[in-house]
Amino acid sequence: MEPIAYVSRLNEFYRSQGFPVYNWTINKGAPLTPLSKPLARCRLAMLTSGGVSRKDTAPFNPQARNDLRLDVIDKETPAQFFAINDNYYNHIDADRDINCIFPIERLRELQSESVIGEVGPHHYSGFMGRIYTRSAVVNEAAPALARRLRDERIDAFVLVPA
Amino acid sequence: MIEEAGIPTVVVSTGRDLSEQVKPPRTVFVNFPMGNPFGKPFDRVQQRKILLDALHTFESVKMGGEIINLPYEWDEQFGMNLGSGYRAETA
Repeated sequence: MEPIAYVSRLNEFYRSQGFPVYNWTINKGAPLTPLSKPLARCRLAMLTSGGVSRKDTAPFNPQARNDLRLDVIDKETPAQFFAINDNYYNHIDADRDINCIFPIERLRELQSESVIGEVGPHHYSGFMGRIYTRSAVVNEAAPALARRLRDERIDAFVLVPA
Repeated sequence: MIEEAGIPTVVVSTGRDLSEQVKPPRTVFVNFPMGNPFGKPFDRVQQRKILLDALHTFESVKMGGEIINLPYEWDEQFGMNLGSGYRAETA
């Protein structure tokens, strides 16, 4: 099937509700930082924005707007030790197997097979729901995450939006 | 932002048009429902393939903003499934 036209369908939805047109982020180009070494020697970490929290922390607000909460997830967290709270997408499959949206076990396997060097000490979960405060992300939250990743000597980062 | 801070990134996306607008440095597009970027529950083989496809872009993509379309097909038609969060915004 053809990819879903999320942008036009969301625009239509907002218009039908009498909301102003959503001010999408449209970038003309993107920077590219090459890998500094082969994947087999890289330290990797992941980010999910799917409302994923550990069972020993508070759940995300499933209806969140402008929630810049960012959880730090220990790399050894078992796949069964997560809860998903996010009303903006259907996570019925990921509720059963977190690897559908956040392949934490698959990444550990790639480490044990030496396909990657290693998994970093932490993964990250945040920026879920709808965020309209772009400048807070660009000026504060994203640079803070970048600093953390540098401190943890992460060589490559996998982002999984939801 | 993270890429500019010197850390290579890849996005695993289920929204092709959304990624075209945002233009992350590297994107693999998977034409699966938004809640299934790595496929079905307990399908380790598929999950692993998509993760590896994403990791391979670190070595293959030479220009920022590239979107790689992965060849996998979902086994049934699926919709946008906005979720109840959108309805709540109208309240």
